[in-house]
Amino acid sequence: MNDLTTAFGNPLSLLVLLPIVAGATLMLVAWAAPPSQRKDLTKHVRLISFGLSLLLFVLATLMFLESYSGIEWFSLNLNEYAYENCTTGQIEAGACALISGIGVSWHVGVDGLSFPMVWLTTLLVPVSMLVDWNAKKGAYFHTLLLMMEGALIGVFVSLDLFLFYVFWELTLIPMFFLILMWGGENRRYAAQKFFIYTFTASVIMLAGILILYFFTSVPLWEGNITGRSFDVTLMAASATTPSITFLGGFGMQKFVFLLLLVGFAAKMPSVPVHTWLPDAHVEAPTAGSMLLAGVMLKMGAYGFIRVAVTLLPEATIHYTWLLLLLGMVSLVYAAWVCLGQTNLKRLIAYSSVSHMGLIFLGIATMQPLGIAGALFMMLAHGLISPMLFAVAGAFKHHYHTLEIGSMRGIARHSPWLAGHMMFGCMASLGLPLLAGFVAEIAILIAFWMAFGWLVLLPALTLIITGAYYIWAMQRTIFEGGAEGELPESLHGEEPVDITWHENVGMFVLAAFIALLGVLPFIFFDMMSGWSSTLVENVLLAALNSMGGGP
Amino acid sequence: MGESKNPEMKFLIPIGLLLLFPFMRIYGGEFARGSPFDALESAFLIPLIPLLIFPIIAILGQVYNKEDWWKERFKEGGMIAICGLAIALSLSVWLAIQFFTQGTGDEDALRWNLFNWISFDVLGQTADGTWVTMEQDIALGVGIWVDPLSLMLLFVAAFLCFLICWFSLGYMNTDPINEDRNHRFYAEFVLFSAGMLGMVLADSFLWLFVFWEIMGLCSYLLIGFYYERPSAAYAAKKAFLTTRVGDVFLLIGLLILYDLYGSLDYAVIFGDPSIGGTVDAGMLKWAMLMLFIGAVGKSAQFPLHVWLPDAMEGPTPVSALIHAATMVNAGLYLVARMVPFFDVTAHGSGVEGLGDVAIIIAWTGGITACMAAMIAFVQNDIKKVLAYSTMSQLAYIFTGLGVSLWLFNNDHHHAAVIAFGASMFHLFNHAMAKGMLFMASGSVIHEMHHAHDHVSDPGDHDDDFDAQDMRNMGGLASKLPVTATAMAIGSASIIGLPLIGGFWSKEGIIAETWSATALYGASWMLFPAFLILLTAGMTGFYMTRMWMMTFAGKPKSVFAAHAHEATPWIRTPLVLLSVIALLGGFLLSLLGAVHWLGEGESLGSALGHDGTLMTVLETIKHAFLPADTFLLLITWTAVAISLVLGPMMAMRIHGGRLAKGESAHVGIAWLLPLSTRFGKSDVTALANSGVADALQRRLFFDEWYDAAVAATVIPLANVLAWFDNRIIDGAIRGIEWGSQSISGEVRKLTTGSARDYILMAVVGTLSIAALMWRVAV
Repeated sequence: MNDLTTAFGNPLSLLVLLPIVAGATLMLVAWAAPPSQRKDLTKHVRLISFGLSLLLFVLATLMFLESYSGIEWFSLNLNEYAYENCTTGQIEAGACALISGIGVSWHVGVDGLSFPMVWLTTLLVPVSMLVDWNAKKGAYFHTLLLMMEGALIGVFVSLDLFLFYVFWELTLIPMFFLILMWGGENRRYAAQKFFIYTFTASVIMLAGILILYFFTSVPLWEGNITGRSFDVTLMAASATTPSITFLGGFGMQKFVFLLLLVGFAAKMPSVPVHTWLPDAHVEAPTAGSMLLAGVMLKMGAYGFIRVAVTLLPEATIHYTWLLLLLGMVSLVYAAWVCLGQTNLKRLIAYSSVSHMGLIFLGIATMQPLGIAGALFMMLAHGLISPMLFAVAGAFKHHYHTLEIGSMRGIARHSPWLAGHMMFGCMASLGLPLLAGFVAEIAILIAFWMAFGWLVLLPALTLIITGAYYIWAMQRTIFEGGAEGELPESLHGEEPVDITWHENVGMFVLAAFIALLGVLPFIFFDMMSGWSSTLVENVLLAALNSMGGGP
Repeated sequence: MGESKNPEMKFLIPIGLLLLFPFMRIYGGEFARGSPFDALESAFLIPLIPLLIFPIIAILGQVYNKEDWWKERFKEGGMIAICGLAIALSLSVWLAIQFFTQGTGDEDALRWNLFNWISFDVLGQTADGTWVTMEQDIALGVGIWVDPLSLMLLFVAAFLCFLICWFSLGYMNTDPINEDRNHRFYAEFVLFSAGMLGMVLADSFLWLFVFWEIMGLCSYLLIGFYYERPSAAYAAKKAFLTTRVGDVFLLIGLLILYDLYGSLDYAVIFGDPSIGGTVDAGMLKWAMLMLFIGAVGKSAQFPLHVWLPDAMEGPTPVSALIHAATMVNAGLYLVARMVPFFDVTAHGSGVEGLGDVAIIIAWTGGITACMAAMIAFVQNDIKKVLAYSTMSQLAYIFTGLGVSLWLFNNDHHHAAVIAFGASMFHLFNHAMAKGMLFMASGSVIHEMHHAHDHVSDPGDHDDDFDAQDMRNMGGLASKLPVTATAMAIGSASIIGLPLIGGFWSKEGIIAETWSATALYGASWMLFPAFLILLTAGMTGFYMTRMWMMTFAGKPKSVFAAHAHEATPWIRTPLVLLSVIALLGGFLLSLLGAVHWLGEGESLGSALGHDGTLMTVLETIKHAFLPADTFLLLITWTAVAISLVLGPMMAMRIHGGRLAKGESAHVGIAWLLPLSTRFGKSDVTALANSGVADALQRRLFFDEWYDAAVAATVIPLANVLAWFDNRIIDGAIRGIEWGSQSISGEVRKLTTGSARDYILMAVVGTLSIAALMWRVAV
């Protein structure tokens, strides 16, 4: 009845399913192996997992290179996607149906919004495997990361909100176990908090998605009982014609928008629903932190743009002030809180909150440049914060502490670590020629055009951002006299530098951060093409009908 | 480590590259596309090559820093660095030759576009508030821009980078304290060069800012080169954060400019700064002010000046290059770039009503000049004196630029051009002289260190000894003849000894400031005009004081008595720069540098016009006997106080003959007996007074700033951290506690055994997959 090659014979489907199935299988093999062979097996499983994730990275990069020459990102419309597995007609005919009864289809595709995130995920997974190469119980650790990769990519490529939600929840499970089993001393509390927090938020988000679902009618296909669809392209089609009657009126639109905002803001996270993040990061293993900060936080921003902004433009414009408020408070408040932190991972976690605030500000400008800047921030921060967490993980690993004031002059003993820390901090505080600056300048230019002198707040916060990083470095890798001061947690052991695989992993991230800082158009033009389409096709009409805007 | 027998031989490689590289580009072009590349097409390599060398030195050095071949053959990365800088210098010279031979044609400048950095659309709004569709495909681009201003600074930067790298090869590699980490120095050094060269070549305010920040990073890294010293780590932090305050305002300035002009390219903005007279002058004024605050931070002007003296924690070559000769000029360059906005004369299309900003610039300059000179009076650290002197001289240039901008904005083209040219000319003279002075001070410090190590027992290091403290020196004129002579020439240039270097430009600035006040009605300029005239005398005092304390009289410590010039590598760069400092000013004035910088009149045109001898006489007559009586008075007052009053007072306090049997270099030997002719004055009472104490404590700025940060920023951060942990997270925890009953159920599943969890996860995942498969098929 339906054509499986249409549904699954697609590179994106491969990117999603291969790691999940392979990861689960490898895990089962490791679980079933007799204890005598476990040691050897662990090595093999680890190597295979790494090889597979590398393969996926190559695949994603090839797709990128092909898309670069073959796909006109600028002329893609909002309802069109690259690497789509079925057309609107096929979906309406039920050709890609997965659960026919309630109108769920296996519909995947990428555009300028999601593709950078997919590529980022495939890059970060092998890098984080490399950085945490010697994790205990490696056979499970690396396979969990592999499964997580599939789930994360699933979130970004699914164009069916049911699938989106399933993958969204699926990412929680590996992360929960990563924190619970490989975490620090307080891991139970952190894992539980992480799970409950994000799960509650996602249930609220689900309520919003369900309301959207019930207002999206499609032609009945065979077996579709409800006559509704979760497909986001179909939703977008019914949302835009005519938009003010979508969801039965503006009141409902605003309500759904708020539901979605709560769900996505908790994931990003935005003040005041951000407190799970520092705890989760402090307890998570290095690779877990890297993926959490690098990709999972971006799921919030991605979902917000994909669902809330695209489907509910009027409500987005109506609540611009709220976005502005949330973004500004996250940015400014979290930066100040950073300055008061003594734990390196908490500091980086709060700086993530601060940077995510910029994304809301970028969206609030309603300028293609600002939105593109927000998208670029997702990518840039997705490279920079994993680098910083890799550095923090190395401190934990080699010096057994994350307390900023507990050591001095580490650059003497661990010059590579100090170099990477310097690079990561500089990238994060927005040094030009590195990726973070591109996002910052784009957002700030658009912000000035939209809000004028209000730019003083985010701009002055850049000083605070500089201050906490510089100060943190001064009190860890610098000072300390000729011999430095080692932390007590080392118990007199000889200090060592990072291992070669940590070093390689950090270098890979550094290289991409520099590449995207010098030649940002590689991704930026794709993103600005997408943002222009969004503004032109969706927001422009809404702006004029609302008679307002920033 | 260790000098090879003929260190100069090594320079054959970079010097060879220097000559060869442009030819390689020319023939490379023939080979690649059938026609030679010209210098403009190769200009992007000037910053790019050092930029690419940076990671090479950093990574190779970190891997191989214990290897002999790395130390001997590569000089810990120094050889790679100097080769790269040699190429950059040769390309710069080539570019200058092309500029002089071909000119810019009808354009403002030679331009070359490289690529579009980012492209985007902009959503516009019509007058009635309707949002309309967008302007398509706007791009922030990357390109090259060459005009007299950038060419002058490009040459200064490329030349000094090369020369000071040369100097560093000896200075850094022979100091045991730098063992195994000089690669860091050279890596950061070339990155800095890339930043400086990139900034002057950039064709837009955006890329000016980009490289501006790169320089800030390198300044931070190099001040903190001896990161294990808390003072260095503190100074580095202070420099980075203080300049960042300025940078943020500069960034806001860029945002305003972008909003006004829809672009940040010089070509677009300078093409029509008033947008046909429709530009919002009030907003433009804010933009200018914001840019100026950025310049204040970078060039260490009041009130963001506090970082520069502390920056002397860095190695001496860094102080010479970054904190005297190049980076601190970036702020001046930025202000000089603002001329088209102000130029409302027939030659430009600027915007009226920006005079206030020009007055603010001039006042800032005047205040800083005077304040820094006052603080320099009491400094005993030889590098700190030079640091404050740098600050004070940069302030001169700011004053000159402020005056020039005011004149431009009030339609006095001729005077404005002279003031502008004199300011930029002073930048050149000061960079050469101050770079050389810092190198010479490095030589002094190095020899003092050496003598200290030599005299005192090895192993018995008393850490109290400060090789930079002038109170330990004295009488070095005979021990370090080359250094002493070079320093005398540099000081003379800074003081403004007639006919030498800085005299030409400094007199120009003072004269133009006064004439703006008196002849063109800029009554607000009276205050800065008065201050910089006063500062001229103060400069004479503190520079003479520094020289006398270091070189004159009897040795004040046993170490000074044992110092001797044992460093062959310092000689060449020092002598070369001395010659430039001595003669460069005069020669360039003859060639009409002021007019070339000010209005692009071709260099040397005056010479061809009137004949050489006449030009020399004319130039001298113009400098000493200006037609206007008022200017004549000002000129001679300045000469009198800077050359007679200031030095004389310094000599009364610190002058003295050398010890018996010692003799100085013939060029300066006459100075020492002369210094005793004015009598002696005892200043002990003054040195112990409250004024001296206030100056010693740098007029309390550092203390105030530290106290302000300690009283506001730190407590607020701690309170907010507490608030976040206790109040926000506490509220969440409260809700959580309420739902314990639910989590209790969850907890039963968490048995704590890894194998159980794994099994649960796998079974769960596979069953979902199986379910999907079943349903799908």
